[in-house]
Amino acid sequence: MKNNINFPEQSSSARDPSNLLKSFMPLKFQRKHINITVIVLAVIAFGTLPFYVNVDSFFAYYLFICFLYIILAQGWNLVAGYTGQISLGTHAFFALGAYTTAIIWLHNITHTWYYFDPLVMVLSGVVPAIFAIIIGIPTLSRLRGDYFSFGTLAAAEILRIVILRGGKFTEGAMGLRLPGTGFTTMGIYYWTALLLAVLATAAVYFITRSRIGLALKAINEDETSAASHGIHILQYKVFAFAIGSFITGICGSLYAYYLFMINPLAVMNLNWMFLPILICVLGGNGTVLGPIIGAFVIGALFSYGDVLLGQVHPMLSGILIILVMKFLPTGLVGLKDRISHRR
Amino acid sequence: MANQLLEVKGVDVSYGDIQVLWDVSLQVEEGTIVALVGANGAGKTTLLKTISGLLRVRKGEILFSGENLHNFKPQEIVDRGVIHVPEGRRLFASLTVMENLKLGAYVPRTRPFFAESLERVFSLFPALKNRKEQKAGTLSGGEQQMLAIGRAVMARPKLIMLDEPSLGLSPILVKTIFGLLSTLNEQKTTILLVEQNVNQALKIAHQAYVMKTGKIVMCGKGCDLLVDEEVRKAYIGERAIKRKG
Amino acid sequence: MVLIIQDIVNGILLGTMYGTAAIGLSLVFGTMRIVFIAQGSVIVFFAYLCYWLFHLLGVDPYLSLILIVPVALLLGAAFYYGLFKEAAALKDRIGSLLIAVGLMFFLENLMTVVWTPNPRAVVTSYGFYAFNLFGINLTLTRLIGLLIAILATLGVFIFLTKTLIGTAVRATSEDVEASTLMGINPDRVNAVAFAIGIGLAAIAGINFASTYSFDPIYGFDVALKALIALTLGGIGTVYGALLGGIILGVIETLGVYFVGSAWAQAICYAVFFLTLTLRPNGLFGRTS
Repeated sequence: MKNNINFPEQSSSARDPSNLLKSFMPLKFQRKHINITVIVLAVIAFGTLPFYVNVDSFFAYYLFICFLYIILAQGWNLVAGYTGQISLGTHAFFALGAYTTAIIWLHNITHTWYYFDPLVMVLSGVVPAIFAIIIGIPTLSRLRGDYFSFGTLAAAEILRIVILRGGKFTEGAMGLRLPGTGFTTMGIYYWTALLLAVLATAAVYFITRSRIGLALKAINEDETSAASHGIHILQYKVFAFAIGSFITGICGSLYAYYLFMINPLAVMNLNWMFLPILICVLGGNGTVLGPIIGAFVIGALFSYGDVLLGQVHPMLSGILIILVMKFLPTGLVGLKDRISHRR
Repeated sequence: MANQLLEVKGVDVSYGDIQVLWDVSLQVEEGTIVALVGANGAGKTTLLKTISGLLRVRKGEILFSGENLHNFKPQEIVDRGVIHVPEGRRLFASLTVMENLKLGAYVPRTRPFFAESLERVFSLFPALKNRKEQKAGTLSGGEQQMLAIGRAVMARPKLIMLDEPSLGLSPILVKTIFGLLSTLNEQKTTILLVEQNVNQALKIAHQAYVMKTGKIVMCGKGCDLLVDEEVRKAYIGERAIKRKG
Repeated sequence: MVLIIQDIVNGILLGTMYGTAAIGLSLVFGTMRIVFIAQGSVIVFFAYLCYWLFHLLGVDPYLSLILIVPVALLLGAAFYYGLFKEAAALKDRIGSLLIAVGLMFFLENLMTVVWTPNPRAVVTSYGFYAFNLFGINLTLTRLIGLLIAILATLGVFIFLTKTLIGTAVRATSEDVEASTLMGINPDRVNAVAFAIGIGLAAIAGINFASTYSFDPIYGFDVALKALIALTLGGIGTVYGALLGGIILGVIETLGVYFVGSAWAQAICYAVFFLTLTLRPNGLFGRTS
């Protein structure tokens, strides 16, 4: 005899421990407030780190690399995660940022201080942004995403040749050397990187929470539907692309200050195209936290890995992205959700 | 007792967390035409997809010639001789008529009889013979339906399951198609027919089932259901009753 | 004047190389919507295999086809089942692109570590033999390259149109569900297409090895050129890749003649960019 009695499925939230915890806490301490406190504490912790850890240690270098990667990744994340457009030209914007800084300084264009000069850095972001708008308008007006991807790839390679053939302006393959001397300790690099990482993350966070972000999300979900609601698709896509490139350019500028000698091999190699993709995919595409988590993991791979594993570690990055795409497409950020869904 | 070619027993099917078929049971006797009728969204297409292996069975059994098809892959089910002609025909539009037919006989079991099956198809559907090299997408609605059925015939089916063959066709074409289905049945092919054109379907069916919101609500002989008050009111409509007059 | 004609001829011959590289890409993309950007690195990988077979065992590069192509077919099937099966099922273009990028990085670095970054070339005894036709120089190896390209294109065309599996490949790329209802196993069919794609990469690699020098990171450039060839020629036709390659080859060699090698590359990429924005279906492709 068949049992016709159906018990309604118990909702998973009833068994979720964090809900239990919430029922004990006063209403004031909501999720949002916990998050903000954690973030502030983390920033303070990183900011004060140089006071109790040697800022010239490898660990501080590792953190510097992580912050650098965060900036780089957030720039790419804004375009890819929120508009669904995969840019394969990040290395071009990065290089443009680096070269802009070098050229402004070498040719004394702005007559300012030049060392970590905000004006120079902002300009180093503006130039890539303009470049992004130029290539963005024709390529983003197509509905097919891979045309955009290849368009950025093509444009990047054209830029590479322009740099190599730039004559006195870019000194070709030899590259440019920033005038003046670098800093002898890591301190200022560390704090500037941290500041920029926080700013980049904040920028992405606020853009995605704003009306612009809402429009971007709508475009990502269903372009034709968004268009029929009056959203000017191209405008928003190009805007996101420009902002993303701006952030990437500033990252390039920071790197130029760090390296002091820039050439196409150092600032335009394909790693700079691949890294933000790997970081965002590993951490979680389309989230604000994902690139940060990814940056710390990949930062470890590329800094400690370089020391410990030497030549082998670049191969691992290729394997890593394959593994992530196959088994963890939502990234590490999505890992938590997947575990809780298993119950 | 006649041989039950297909037996669906107490089948539950879900799309993710949403259950769409509830304890569905039906039998198809060998050599007959069985009609499955019901309104849009009743679950008829879902049931066909489950039998042909495109959807998984959550609970219950599907027996074909006594063998349980439980969660076989679609290819294995085709190999057993169960051919599903899907809703909207789903022809390969960029391929020619001939290529579509060739693919109908893709399964190795059918290939030795390719020439024979082709003969059969062309004698049933002479219009297709003239259009052999034409791209399937350029055929008319009626021709496309014929090609879809022809494709199924190429697979030397023991059971053909058709999902809404009358869709988008004029009444004359519908009559032609249904006539062809009767002919096929006379040639010893068992047919399971899902239709919204209840009138025509019940006319040629030996046995019929009525589905509503994922459940079987009625079953009986085709001719009996044709004159049944409830069925006529719900699915055939006043005008047909008047015409029958 | 003769010089320009020589350049055009060289361009055509160069273009058939690109075409051969692009055909595999075309097959894989046309059927599974996978942008296999690792094709270039795979081509270089097989060029290396050809090189080592030549240097260690003295196997003539064109004869090594017999050994290498079966390996390539197996590798292609392995790539499909191991890497791309899920992405192909979901028609996930971004996912498959990223996996291909990952594979490209892995292969490039693997080859750099194992075989060093030094450029290699396969130099055979007949490698420099050339015919002279009406004052135009025609290198033997490049002519063989032309022949191989034409045969490869024909081969793929025959496969897709005249064989049952080839027809099944086309059907699966159009409608996966309907093809399963025919009893077609979409994974098996896709794996065959992928295997042939990698087989074509092997052919391209051997072609390459006999004619040019190469190093591990050259793969990216090759992939890019193949992609440009494919875009120029258009998706949807088998001969599109070959024709696109030839056009690209001519543009490149004429470019070298007029503006020098570096800017010629820039012109190629600019043509790529323009094609993407103005005529994305290519010059011969069908609108999908």
